[in-house]
Order: sequence, then C-alpha cells, then structure tokens
Amino acid sequence: MVSAASLHRRLLGGLSLLLLLTCTLLLLQSWYSAQRSADRAYDRLLASAAQVMSDHVSWRNDRLWFDVPASALNMLAPHGDERVFYALIDREGHLVSGNAALVALIQDLPATGSFQTSSATFNGLSLRVGALGARLTGWHNRAPYALLVAHTLEARHAMTWQLFRDSSLRLAGIVALAVAGLLMTLRLALRPLKQLRRRLKARTAHDLSPIHVRVPRELEELLAALNALLARQRQVRIHEQRFIGDASHQLRTPLAGIAASAELALRSQDSAHWHQALQEIQAGTHRATRLAEQLLSLTRLHSPEAPLTRQPVALATLARETLVRFLPVADKNGIDLGLAEPCPELSVAGNRWQLEEALSNLIDNALRYARSRVTVGIDAANSVIHVEDDGPGINNGEQDDVLRPFHRCQEQGPGSGLGLAIADGVARAHGGTIVMHHLPGGGFMIGLHLPGEMT
Amino acid sequence: MLKPCRYCYRLMLVAWSVITLATTASAAEPSLSIEGNLRFQGQGNETLNIQGVVEADILRPVLEAFHQRYPQITLHYHDASRGERPQPATVPPNVDLLMSSAMAQQYQLANAGYAQPLGSGVINPDWPESARWRDELIGLTHEPLVMVYRRELADIAPPPEDHAGLLALLNQKNTALTGRVATYDPARSPTGFMAVAQDVARSTEAWALFDAMGEADTQLLDSTADMLEGLIEGRYLIGYNLMGSYARRAVQDHPDLAMQVPTDYALALQRLALIPMNAPHPEMARRFLTFITSRQGQQIMTTRTPLGSPLLAFEGATSPDDSLEPIQLTPGLLALIDPLKREALLDRWQTIFDTRSIAAPNIVEGTVE
Repeated sequence: MVSAASLHRRLLGGLSLLLLLTCTLLLLQSWYSAQRSADRAYDRLLASAAQVMSDHVSWRNDRLWFDVPASALNMLAPHGDERVFYALIDREGHLVSGNAALVALIQDLPATGSFQTSSATFNGLSLRVGALGARLTGWHNRAPYALLVAHTLEARHAMTWQLFRDSSLRLAGIVALAVAGLLMTLRLALRPLKQLRRRLKARTAHDLSPIHVRVPRELEELLAALNALLARQRQVRIHEQRFIGDASHQLRTPLAGIAASAELALRSQDSAHWHQALQEIQAGTHRATRLAEQLLSLTRLHSPEAPLTRQPVALATLARETLVRFLPVADKNGIDLGLAEPCPELSVAGNRWQLEEALSNLIDNALRYARSRVTVGIDAANSVIHVEDDGPGINNGEQDDVLRPFHRCQEQGPGSGLGLAIADGVARAHGGTIVMHHLPGGGFMIGLHLPGEMT
Repeated sequence: MLKPCRYCYRLMLVAWSVITLATTASAAEPSLSIEGNLRFQGQGNETLNIQGVVEADILRPVLEAFHQRYPQITLHYHDASRGERPQPATVPPNVDLLMSSAMAQQYQLANAGYAQPLGSGVINPDWPESARWRDELIGLTHEPLVMVYRRELADIAPPPEDHAGLLALLNQKNTALTGRVATYDPARSPTGFMAVAQDVARSTEAWALFDAMGEADTQLLDSTADMLEGLIEGRYLIGYNLMGSYARRAVQDHPDLAMQVPTDYALALQRLALIPMNAPHPEMARRFLTFITSRQGQQIMTTRTPLGSPLLAFEGATSPDDSLEPIQLTPGLLALIDPLKREALLDRWQTIFDTRSIAAPNIVEGTVE
C-alpha cells in the first residue's frame, strides 16, 4: 500500500512555501527601499555640494567667475574612490568651467532655485548627475547659471548593500525563529495523533475495550468511529463464542443419544434390541452429520477468504431440481410438495451452490412444520423465490430471532436451528433479505429476496 | 588652446618615432641613452614603454634592475620632464605606464576613466592606502618640495628655514638677490603649477612670497634639473620648490649647495603612475609595477636613487618629518587645475612676473620634443 504524504510533511511543506514567498517579497522590497534610501541620502549630498559651489560663483571681468572649492569636490566623493565631475554652465548652456561636458547629460537646464537629479551614462561610466539652477546675487548682475555635479555610484552601492544586508540579517533571524516555532507547533499539534497510535500499538489482540484518551476535536470523530468498530468487534466476538457453545451443545445431543443407544444395546442379549439400537445410532449419526454439514455451510458463508463468485442462475431450474431431491422425504411424511404454476423464468446473478443450499434449508424447514402441503414459487415482479406451507408459521415477534443460529421456536423441535440462519447468510451475501409473512388464507410464506436480477 | 597642444603633440610623436628608429638601429647595445631616453634591448619580443617625468639617469638603477630581472623585455623609458608642456586631456598613445609628479593631471586622467585597473596582486599589499586611488593610480615615490641655496648665501644673511623666513629674506635683501632666485614656471611645468597651486590653496599668504619673488626678479624655469644646474654654476643663490629627490643628490655631489626642508610645512608630492586604457602592453606595465613596489624594488629605489619610498617612509626607514604634508589623492586635486582657476592663478602670476625677461635660451636647450 502506498501511503499518502505525511501530515507533518504536508503542513511543513505548505507553511514553508508560504514563508519562502513572504521572504522573497520582503527581500525584494528591502532591496528597493535600500536603493531608494541610498539615492535619497546621496542626492542630498549632491545638492549640498552644488550649493557650496554656488557660493563661489561670481561676476568678474565681465564674465561668470568660478573659484571651485576643493572641499565641495571632496564632498562629492564620500567613499573616497568615486569619480567626480562638475561643470558651471552659463545661461546659453556653454561650459564656463569644469572637468566634463556634463551639459550633454541633462535634458533641460534647471530652473533658477531648483535642484534635480538624474542617472546618466558618461563615457561608459554610470553617473548620478545633480543640476542646480541659480543666479548671481549681485546688485547689478543677476545672471542665471547652472551648476552640474556628478559622481559615480560606489558610495550608493555600498550603502544599498549595507542597508540590504542589515535588513536581510534581520529577516534571516525572523525566519529562523519562525521555522523553529513552526517545527515546535507542528510537533505539539500532531502529538495527540502520536499518543493515539502508541495506545493502539500497545493493545493486545484480545483487548477490544473502548479507547479512553483526550483528543482534539478534529480527532474526536475518528476516535468515535474507532470505538464503534471496537464495539462491533466485541459483539461479533460474543456471537462467535455463543455460536461455538451452541454448536458444541447441538453436536453433543445426537452423540449422547448414540452413546446411550449403544450402551443399552451392549447390556442386552436380544438381537432385536441390537437392531433397534443400530437404527437409533444410524438416525443419530444422520442428525450429527447433517448438523456438521450445516455448520460447515455457515462457516463457508461467513468466511472472508472465499469471495462470492456470481454467475447467472435460472431460479425456475434451481427450484425444480431442489424440489426433486426432497420428494422422497415429502412422500414419507405424506406432504404434498410441488411447484407453484405458472413458474416465471427469472435469472439472477448469484452463486448456484449457495442459492441451492438456502432453498434446500427453506424447503427442509417447511417440510418439518407443514401439515399437508409445501409449495415452492417464484415472484418475478419482486424478485423473490419463496416457499409456502400450511403450518403454523412464525410469530411476528419472533421473525427476527429465528434468523439467528440455533434459535428454534420450540425447544425440542426436530431441526438444528441453523437452516434459517444459513438462508439469511446467503441472502445477505447476495445483497438481499429473507422475507416472511402469514398468508391471508392460513399458512406461511418465507422467501429469498434477491435484487440484481438478470433477465 | 587646443591647436598648439595638438601641434606639440604631433611633434612629440615625430620625436618619439625618431628615437625609436635610432635606438632600434643599434639594438645590439644592451642599453642606450639619448637625450633623456633609455632603451634596454630585451632578448624576447615583449616590450614595455614607460613615460615619466623623472630624468632617465635618476631612474636608471631601477630600470637596470628590472631589465636584469626580466631580460626578455625590451624596455623604453622616455623622460618628458625636460621642456614639460601642459599635458593634454588625454594620454599619449603607445605608452604602457605613465608616471608623473603632476598629481592633479594624473588624477584628472584617472578620474575621467583613461586609466585601466592595475589588477589584484600587482601592487605590494603593504603599500600604503594613502598612495593608492581606486586601483588605478599608485603613488610610486614620496618626496618633499624643498629649498636649495648656495652656502655663500650665509655671507649675505642667515639662510631661511621656512616660508616666512624666505619672505623676510627676499624683502630685506631684495637688491642682493635680484635675478638670483629660481623657481618653477607654473605656466610651463605642471609640477611647478601643482606646487604653486598647493601653496596658494594652503594659504593666500603665499601670494606675499610670490610678490616678493617678483620684486626680486625671480627666474622661472621648467624643471628642478635646470634650477640645480643654475645653482651649481652659481647663477642662482636660492631655489624654491625643488623636487627633494633631485636636490638631495645634487647636494651630495656639490658641497657648496645646501638643502632646506621648510620647517613650517613641506608639500610632499607623489609620482603617480597609471596604465593608460589604450596601453599596448599593459601586462608588462603590471610586471614593472609589481617589481618596483616590491620590497626589493623599493630597496633599490631608496638606496640607489634619490627618490623617496612611500612604503619605507611610513616605516621610519627615512626619518619621518612632522612638517611633511603629503598631497592627498582626493577630488580636491581637480580644483587645482580647474581651467578658470588655473587661468586666474597664472594671470596673477603673470602680473607679478611680467617684468621679467621671457624664457632664457638655455632653458629650452635640453628639450627633446
């Protein structure tokens, strides 16, 4: 048997997948936010550097003049190894001073008083460019100009990594905690199941008492079903014990008769007595044999190792053939045994041997209690094969009990008490039931209802 | 400004090819020196072209050691220090390793992306961080800018020990010193410009000194070598802002000269090396850098050349000096060579020195270009 994936693994798998998904999303988010933070921080630095530079722009000798401060350039390289570029642009967009033609990297010259940043590529270098729009603050000359500053991205990358690493470490810590918690919770949650298993394993084969253990609500149903099964098993066990007891008792009666007859014959010297004893012994042996046969049939019927093989069985033929076997007995007892006419052709899927056995038992039983007449008939409409007799029948209150083995209406009756039990077993094996009722004009009908007919 | 630049550039190229032709003609010689150029013929077909602003003779022991270590490499060294011109904004072609003490220009080239990464494992891992930038620039030497004077200056006045002392001397003994002071011409020498710009950036008081120098009709020269030549010949009494490496060697050879490291502050230059993006043999350049930054290479450099080692300077091998102010490798260097600023500085310089006679003929004499 291939077992389904373990509960533990299923739960762990599902939750881990969820955790993984969450982690991935959080990592992505933290990467972008780290990038944003780094850009914001260093864009502010670009702005400050440009501001410092703008303090050194003046008007001298009829032109823009720029005394670039080394400190502002150093500011642009917070990490020490950035490449640094700057340019002072006049209002026409011409380079006044600087170390790179940065003006080609920006779309428009910035408006006065504004600072804007953008990313650009310059000679194959990835740069962040800041553009400050400003104007001279002299009394006579208020010419606008633009200061462009740029640096490579080493510091930004370093800061992004730093922030990302920090948040990743935090996340890793949280994940470790979550996984530990998850494993612990799973173990705790599945512990009742483990306990139940252990209790079941520890039981002996004969212990069929109900299991008393506190379980969570989800397991209550399972436990109830288990206990119900155990209760049924107990019932079955009781039945079996009683059956064995009854069977022994039944077998002992004819054997005791045989033993008594033999003893009487042994004491007598009269050959007539011997003959009578032999006849009694023969009758006793017959009864014992018949009982043993019936016990065998019942055992075979209940044996789970012999599955029912079904074939189409023509009930009319079956009825006729079985009936013929009982004719001698019926004649001896002066009972009119016959087949009800018309006899419809009905065919059911079933086991011929079993059906014959069941019918034989019904006829045998009817012959014992009938006064003068036993009729076998087939009711095609209800799919019933039945036996009618003019005996007293079975009281309505007893009809369920008679189907149990060794139950007899009269304690000292002629039968073994197994016939109806066998018939009932066959009916159940075929998915049917035993039907019985008193007939309106006196007499009693008992029959096998067999669904699943094959016409 | 562009046109003359391109012109001199072309001139340089022509000169370069002439030299290359000349040297290959006598390839049998193991080494050959023509006008500041050195060539070591290698046995293999690997080549390394170095352009520097150190005189070939000064760097010779290092180059020889490298040649001995890697005899298969043909080594060209071109000294561009004589008749230095303002560097163009790009690197010269066919150069595998560019070395210069014009730190701002070198920084600008690397900043603009004209240098390729040196690569991991190339530079000695002990090399100080302050002498590296971005794995593109490396400071190979560490040398202060110093004053050199002839000992007979003591006959006139006590020799100056710091910048204020020099200023006082110039103001007091103006007539005696007229025409006998020498310094770099910032308009023609990038290294000289670096020195002046750093002096001014450090304190505007420097202008007082330059004013006094102008009053004394200070001679403006292209290189430390020229200044030392004049000092040795006795034409000048005082030289200001000389490269310490050259000065130390000259003072050793000429007892009538004395070197003074200014006690208030002495700017320490680094000779920055970079491998140009379009270098034809970058692997050879890396091999050279590995060699020169190794302990052995630095040992040779400090013992057999006057150049100072950044590696050993911080280990106390040469006496550490409180007044030394190393010029940092920061973007602030870019401010020194801002076109407007440069123009303004040179303008002011020019107004101070406009009385002087422009470029004496002997200055251009040794120019190779």
